[in-house]
Amino acid sequence: MGNLEAMKPFPDSEEMEISFGPQHPATHGVLRVMVKLDGERIVDAKPVIGYLHRGTEKIFERETYNGAIPHTDRMDYTAAATNNQGLVGAVEKMMGITVPPRAAYIRMILAELQRIASHTIWLGTHALDIGAQSPFFYTFEEREKILDLYEEYCGARLTLNAMRVGGQPYDLPEGWSGRCRTFIDQFPARIAEWERLLTTNRIWKLRTVGVGVISAENAVEWGLTGPPLRGSGVKWDIRKVFPYDHYDDIDFEIPIGGNGDTYDRYLVRMEEMRQSVRIVQQCLARLPEGPVMAKVPKVIKPPKGELYFSVEGPKGELGYYVVSEGGANPYRLHVRPACFINLQALPEMVRGQLVADLIAVIGTLDIVLGEIDR
Amino acid sequence: MANPWVAFLLVPLVKIVVILGVVILLAAYLSFFERKILAYMQIRIGPNRVGPRGWLQPIADALKLFVKEDILPSRAEKLVYMLGPVLVTAPALVVFSVIPFGTGFTLFGAQVTPYLTDVNIGILFILGVSSVGVYGIILGGWASNNKFSLMGGLRSAAQLVSYEVPMGFSVVAVLLMANSLSLVKIVEAQKSAGVWFVFPGLVAFFIYFVCGVAETNRNPFDLPEAESELVAGFHTEYSGMKFAFYFLAEYANMIVISSIATVLFLGGWLPPFPSWLAGVWASPVFTWIPPVIWNAGWFVVKVFAFLFVYIWFRGTFPRYRFDQLMALGWKVFIPVSLVNLVAVALGVLLIGGPR
Amino acid sequence: MSFWGFLASVLPLELAQGLSVTGRFFFKRKATIQYPEVKPVPKDRFRGMFGFSEERCIVCHSCAKACPIDIIHIADHFEEVEVEGKKRKKKVLDRYDIDVKRCMFCGLCEEACPTEPVAIWLTTKSYETAAYERNERLYFTKERLQSWDGVRAYPGVVTPAEGQMPGDPTGGSGEPER
Repeated sequence: MGNLEAMKPFPDSEEMEISFGPQHPATHGVLRVMVKLDGERIVDAKPVIGYLHRGTEKIFERETYNGAIPHTDRMDYTAAATNNQGLVGAVEKMMGITVPPRAAYIRMILAELQRIASHTIWLGTHALDIGAQSPFFYTFEEREKILDLYEEYCGARLTLNAMRVGGQPYDLPEGWSGRCRTFIDQFPARIAEWERLLTTNRIWKLRTVGVGVISAENAVEWGLTGPPLRGSGVKWDIRKVFPYDHYDDIDFEIPIGGNGDTYDRYLVRMEEMRQSVRIVQQCLARLPEGPVMAKVPKVIKPPKGELYFSVEGPKGELGYYVVSEGGANPYRLHVRPACFINLQALPEMVRGQLVADLIAVIGTLDIVLGEIDR
Repeated sequence: MANPWVAFLLVPLVKIVVILGVVILLAAYLSFFERKILAYMQIRIGPNRVGPRGWLQPIADALKLFVKEDILPSRAEKLVYMLGPVLVTAPALVVFSVIPFGTGFTLFGAQVTPYLTDVNIGILFILGVSSVGVYGIILGGWASNNKFSLMGGLRSAAQLVSYEVPMGFSVVAVLLMANSLSLVKIVEAQKSAGVWFVFPGLVAFFIYFVCGVAETNRNPFDLPEAESELVAGFHTEYSGMKFAFYFLAEYANMIVISSIATVLFLGGWLPPFPSWLAGVWASPVFTWIPPVIWNAGWFVVKVFAFLFVYIWFRGTFPRYRFDQLMALGWKVFIPVSLVNLVAVALGVLLIGGPR
Repeated sequence: MSFWGFLASVLPLELAQGLSVTGRFFFKRKATIQYPEVKPVPKDRFRGMFGFSEERCIVCHSCAKACPIDIIHIADHFEEVEVEGKKRKKKVLDRYDIDVKRCMFCGLCEEACPTEPVAIWLTTKSYETAAYERNERLYFTKERLQSWDGVRAYPGVVTPAEGQMPGDPTGGSGEPER
């Protein structure tokens, strides 16, 4: 970020320390950022976390594997389906269970709908942080339709608990795939609408282009995943690199950006929504018949050992590290949260920029404090 | 009106009461309209619980703010803290004394003008008085002893000072065309020219309105109170009636800016194309309307069009960043308004404006 | 920069485009649901308040074991009952309490229930569970679970006391749920 001393307009000016959060309109929950300011320019920013710590990883240790699934819902509460997918995937891989194809396809549909839902929240709140109010309501209207689909499938809207070790607890209800297709088919038009509002807007561009830049090397070194990594131009997506479920049968692209700024991350996420639409369309077209649950023992006891399994969540790589002693409860179940690791890059991205950019960068990192603090 | 007591005390007092009442009520209802219009743009309904279709919402809000605890931060600069809202609200209301809402008419045999006074330096008066308002914002922000408030106040000071300049220049363009500083004369000049000044002064009009949005701290220039950055900016610590006064001042200022834009550029109380369509406006379809209603009606319609655009902007645009706002003001609007001023001056010289 | 590019950069066309989008939404149908007057109808599988049927319960404790946060409290004792002339021991329910204030409505208890149709179910479609006093109002005993005291029955649903068949939230009028 250059020489900070040289950037100071008044070399002997005093620095002001200001605490953004944990109660602040733009910190997406309870993030607290201790910001050192020189006028409006950020000298240093230090995220302070832990205000939403619930000890989820410790709770996992006393749960059965299926009983741990509802707790994963509450980590990244905007993306419950992908959280479930990661945990059940890890346990299935450990036990060597092959999920019936129909269940795997249902999982992919749920996960991609969740990606769209999570990105719509991101777009709404990000735009709201930057000052555009209306997209917040437009995106939430679309998200509501996805939540209706979820409610119809599993009975919950937010904390889905929609996957089990070995398959899916329920089959799709009658007519569900038709309604899902109706939603998916009209969705690209809505994306285009939001893009008309923002993509070419000069104020939006002024606020996002060149803001919160992180180079590809830096992004890799900080361990960023998901859209923040792809916005910097690194083509890395767990769905392509280590395909799980049936993602290797599906035809989709991984959008990448070039400059690693907020605008590129915005474009990447918009394109990801379109790709998710494509994936859901293909899944619905290929949805095989058959059972949705594999034969699994009543009490799930993975063999002794340890295993890391990750899925591509909406926010980035969501990994589960399971250590089993062979019992019904995990000995240790560690989560690699995407938001937590993406948040690390915040000071790097905002140093030397203005207060308003801090807000834009918090928005573009798409953090969910439930996952960061766990 | 032989009696000087009536002419110089009673009539102005009545006018003051009427104007103040209407403006304060309108400002309160403007918040209601804003919430409704924003809601409709955001596929919501907006306030609809208090009274029929929510029409009593502003009253309920005012009552709530009245009974709310008035918090005085313990380490605030008490006197200045209390002075802030007053310094903001008073100028915003004083400005209405020179805004002409229509032409004179006769009531009970006496000549009455639907404005408080017609100062011959009306526009200077407005510019002078309305810039006092910034003191209320910066003092309130400073006295709150809150870092967010302080930043909001500082932003506001810088923003208002820089946008006053291009705004002044664009007003000067109108003055050149009208050849007068009196607001009534400016409207009459538009009548005699037969065209609203928005057409010859399109650039000035655009600059005036954008600077007006910036002057009133509204989206996309709402940095002093930028909710997502500074919580609530300069009025973070204010509550109860003090907050209500800031709120009132903001909405009153919106009405002021819209009214001045109407007077300067949209021909005040004149109907559209006063000379082209003179035949239409004189037809019996319209002449049955009493002239005072007719004039004030056009004025209100134009003001509301501006207010609607204000709210429309708020529903659509993201917010500028502080340095970008400054760059826009100093690097774009000031040069453009200067060039425009020269162009208008040349035009007036060549074509020969109203003498 | 070409002439048109310059013109496009000066004229705020894209801002006007944005205004047109919000302007169009101004006339669109509103998404608001006027909640207390209009109540959204939950879907068939909606996980609402609990329902419980004592006749169907075999006191196997599966639901209590499946509960991730252990909020189902069951106590029982054995009783001698005469079935077809033979004396048999039968488990009798003393206590079946659900501490609903801590419930996260995951539905694992319902899934764990081995009876068919299930003896505990969440598909009552009652979502208005707010209470002024959570320790009393949101602690459901066996009797309250069956009488649905404080739980508004969904239209068309018969309370367990009146013979509701578990697993059939429509009260017999519609398709069985699964």
